[in-house]
Amino acid sequence: MRRISVILFKEWKESLRNKMILFGAIFLPLLMVGAAVAMVYQGRTSGPPGAEVALFNTALMYFLILPVIIPLAIAVYSIVGEKEQGTLEPLLATPISDWELFVGKALVSVLPAVVLTWGSFGLFLGVSVALLGRIPPHALTAPWLAAVFGLTPLLSLFSVGVTMLVSSRATDARAAYEFSSLAVLPALVPLIIYSTRKTIVSLGLVAVEGVVLLVGSAVVLYFAIRMFRREQILTRWK
Amino acid sequence: MIATEGLTRRFGDLVAVENLDLVVAKGEVFGFLGPNGAGKTTTIRLLSALIAPDAGTGTVAGLELGRQNRAIRQRVGVLTETPGLYKRLSVGDGLLFFARLYSVPDPAREVERYLRLFDLWDRRRDLAGSLSKGMQQKVAIARALVHDPAVLFLDEPTASLDPEAAKVVRDLIETLRTKERTIFLCTHNLDEADRLCDRVALFKRRLIALGSPQELKEGRYGRRTVVHLAHPRPGLEEALRLPFVKKVERVDGKLLVSLADPERQNPVLVRRLVELGAEVQFVNELRYSLEDLYLDLLEGSDAAH
Ligand SMILES: Nc1ncnc2c1ncn2[C@@H]1O[C@H](COP(=O)(O)OP(=O)(O)OP(=O)(O)O)[C@@H](O)[C@H]1O
Ligand SMILES: [Mg+2]
Repeated sequence: MRRISVILFKEWKESLRNKMILFGAIFLPLLMVGAAVAMVYQGRTSGPPGAEVALFNTALMYFLILPVIIPLAIAVYSIVGEKEQGTLEPLLATPISDWELFVGKALVSVLPAVVLTWGSFGLFLGVSVALLGRIPPHALTAPWLAAVFGLTPLLSLFSVGVTMLVSSRATDARAAYEFSSLAVLPALVPLIIYSTRKTIVSLGLVAVEGVVLLVGSAVVLYFAIRMFRREQILTRWK
Repeated sequence: MIATEGLTRRFGDLVAVENLDLVVAKGEVFGFLGPNGAGKTTTIRLLSALIAPDAGTGTVAGLELGRQNRAIRQRVGVLTETPGLYKRLSVGDGLLFFARLYSVPDPAREVERYLRLFDLWDRRRDLAGSLSKGMQQKVAIARALVHDPAVLFLDEPTASLDPEAAKVVRDLIETLRTKERTIFLCTHNLDEADRLCDRVALFKRRLIALGSPQELKEGRYGRRTVVHLAHPRPGLEEALRLPFVKKVERVDGKLLVSLADPERQNPVLVRRLVELGAEVQFVNELRYSLEDLYLDLLEGSDAAH
């Protein structure tokens, strides 16, 4: 456990010096919050009251994309960066276990993704209240809250799993980044479903998505863990 | 401190290390020499429990390879072939990271100690990526030492260092030797190996030769005395047939005399030469370098395959 936190703090320290990561972790969430706020602000007067709630729901969906894209840059760099700098061998020469290394590398990007998503969500609500004076009734329903709070960790876990798997095989950061972006797709599925139904989401939908993500993450993490054995890292990763 | 039996490692069809039997004693500085691609780095990886052997067994620091890998990693330090520093971390932070992974009791103090030792304390806040190649190498050596390992594997430690820094490293190796640390040194600098190592192994996929540099050289070449004469007479060789002289050759007007015990026999030899009317200018011992031996033995091993 202690070694995992040692890894975490080292990675975050490194990340703060990486512009691409800072962009993904700070600029993108702010952009999303801005877009979401703009959307609900525009819908404040026009149309019937139902439309206002629908716009609010669409805005909420943005916060299901964030947990997928925030960790991408961090996760890519935390793997490809080690490869490019040739730092894996000294790291693997320490008594850290394969498991600690894997968990550390995963949490490095999962934790900020979750925290920043929830933070952005809070910021969005705060700014909306400031601008509109209130949150429309029936907008913040239990299914939405369940989605934002329950699905966020699963979405980022899935995204990070895919990215770790891809990065362990990729030769450069750009390729890893592009491939890993495909992890956004599963996150888009609920968005598409929600937007076609144009209604308030149900708890059932959230639960189904949660199970799908759980299974998907388990599969991805299973293969990622197999890639993360010392022997593999030293002799197969290029 | 290190003992292996039949250690073998393949990469696909390629055998990188074959049937390595090795015993390195505690406190020994052991040189591991061989050409590029000989399998030296692979051997270090095997012995530091980074990769698993395909066959064979071994113990390192009294712990069994394959069974106690984690404990082995705690007890050994590895200077890898490339420094591999985190370029976006400061020198101090990078070392602290490793000190903590090794659970060093007072990480900050140890980091300071090694940074001062290598004259890098003033640079502790600089990003590792901004250091020169040689400085990076020194930081990497500090990283290998920060947990005070019982066995230290050094893969070409002085390769990119200036003469002064290389001397710091060599002095450090001497110091560690006196502190009973075991050092496994891979180097292409044969002169360095000759000076530092208690024993050396010449290795190319398998062991070719093993012994102290002195033993190896004498075993192959014996000991010879070179005598420079002002006006060498023909036929002098025949006149020098003393009972203890094993062989006399004339090369470029000099005499090469093979002797078993030159400390005792040279004075007799010189006396004899003077009696014969030769004008002796210089008398030297013919010294072979480890390089001569290295090239000789490798040529032999190539011819044998
Ligand atoms: N991960 C790997 N996959 C495939 N082959 C490898 C791998 N690592 C090493 N080899 C091969 O094993 C052989 C020994 O390599 P090694 O790096 O141990 O040599 P070395 O003695 O350290 O050479 P150098 O002096 O150049 O550092 C080489 O033929 C190398 O190509
Ligand atoms: Mg090597």
